[in-house]
Amino acid sequence: MSTSLRDRFYAEGRLPDCPIYDLHGHWGPHPAIHLPAADPAIARPLLDQANVRRLVLCHHYTLFTPDIGNRINIDTVRAMPDILRAYMGINPNHPDETARDLATFDRYPDVFVGFKLLADYHRIKVGDDRNRAVWEFANARRLPVLLHTWGGSAFDGYDAVREVAERYPEARIICGHSIHGDWDHAVELARNFPNLYQELTAVPDERGPVERLIEGAGSKKIIFGTDFPWFSHAYYVGALLGAGVDDESLRDILYRNAQRILGEPAH
Amino acid sequence: MRTYFDINTQFGRSSLARFGEAATAGDLLTAMDRAGVARAVVWHPAQVEIYPGEGNTLTTSMIAGEPRLEAAWSLLGPVTNEVVRPDFFTAMATAKVRVLRAFPSDHRYLLRRAVMGSFLDEVARRRIPVLMSLERGMSFEAIHQVMADYPDLTCVVCDVGIWGADRQVWPLLDQYPRLFVETSLVALEAGGIEAGVRRFGAARYLYGSSFPARYFEAPLLDLEHAAIADADKDAIAAGNLERLLKEVTL
Repeated sequence: MSTSLRDRFYAEGRLPDCPIYDLHGHWGPHPAIHLPAADPAIARPLLDQANVRRLVLCHHYTLFTPDIGNRINIDTVRAMPDILRAYMGINPNHPDETARDLATFDRYPDVFVGFKLLADYHRIKVGDDRNRAVWEFANARRLPVLLHTWGGSAFDGYDAVREVAERYPEARIICGHSIHGDWDHAVELARNFPNLYQELTAVPDERGPVERLIEGAGSKKIIFGTDFPWFSHAYYVGALLGAGVDDESLRDILYRNAQRILGEPAH
Repeated sequence: MRTYFDINTQFGRSSLARFGEAATAGDLLTAMDRAGVARAVVWHPAQVEIYPGEGNTLTTSMIAGEPRLEAAWSLLGPVTNEVVRPDFFTAMATAKVRVLRAFPSDHRYLLRRAVMGSFLDEVARRRIPVLMSLERGMSFEAIHQVMADYPDLTCVVCDVGIWGADRQVWPLLDQYPRLFVETSLVALEAGGIEAGVRRFGAARYLYGSSFPARYFEAPLLDLEHAAIADADKDAIAAGNLERLLKEVTL
């Protein structure tokens, strides 16, 4: 189906009245991939070209190196404060770090908007007791918690996500990768839990799942994300156009839902 | 809107029905028109799912009379005299086929000199592009092997993988001037097209979608708004493939 946004994205690429809010970002190099956009001098023009108004990230180093921790998230955001915000990265394998980080959360209102859990990699279930303080903090303040989620995972698959969605109904749970591959359960969770959203990173590189998620869950429960600096914003927007997403749904997904979750003024 | 010529498109029904496949050439053209893709080199899943000989014939017959579509045929090793017979190039010329695909994993052979012999020397001499997909049984090791054996072969590396593959693809581009890369997943990488063009020039990249597995629009929109020169975009979108096809002699 043809839409005016579709024609304008084709012609212009960046649309001032349709910004992109990317709620699943990273920063810095990665051991397994050459990422051209790991260089901020390359990243910035790419973000501007796509009209990314907000990229909420968690630095690769934070997620995998407790000896670096969240300090690098603070430095990264403050180097590009007009676009970047961060999730406080939580690695429950190091509970002392988590306690220290939580105690400092309010010192950085310009940086942190919520939390990121990478359960599959840290090998600790999202609802584990070692994450309890983080969940209670997010639940009390209605903060977003970005989860890496993957179909079939005992750490962040359907059952594990359902458990935290039931237990923490005020936290804004963003299922990164939409419980990848377990699309029917992803739809079910998004429909049944008002506080739970499905996020698109690693979904649009295959035809079918995007259409299934939007049809099943509705565009108001879908969050745009790219793993930037991994994946291209233009590629993902192109995929949404290819999926035939209508203008209003496109606006929901690209920025309206994210603005609501972040408590930012509507565009 | 610039002209797009897709090097990596499939049409026809597969044994396991897949999301959004184009059952006929007409269905494919409808999807291409919607996305703004003018022409495509196409193959049919029967080339892998039943038999390359029958699949090749089916591909050609199903696009008959559609000048915007051009068939890619599957090759085999010549030793069993199945598909690659002495009249193979004549048959290609008769059917107006200028592109080949290799599926050595599906078809259970090794794509190397010991198996392919002088046949691939002839393919290289005739400058016939051979498409090799990382998602269809080719590995980077296998591509290194075949290119080491046939360094003048015109090779198009397709479907380079979901995770950025620069560390795998760039050494091949460095080493073999007749090796090209299809963009369906290069474009997925943020800044991937720009980085590749900066290092190797636009002439080494060919627009491809991997439809119906992926969207025509995704790599198209990435290229359309990439921070490279318009002339480079034109070349990647269609010009490079048109040039390669003109070089083929049958």
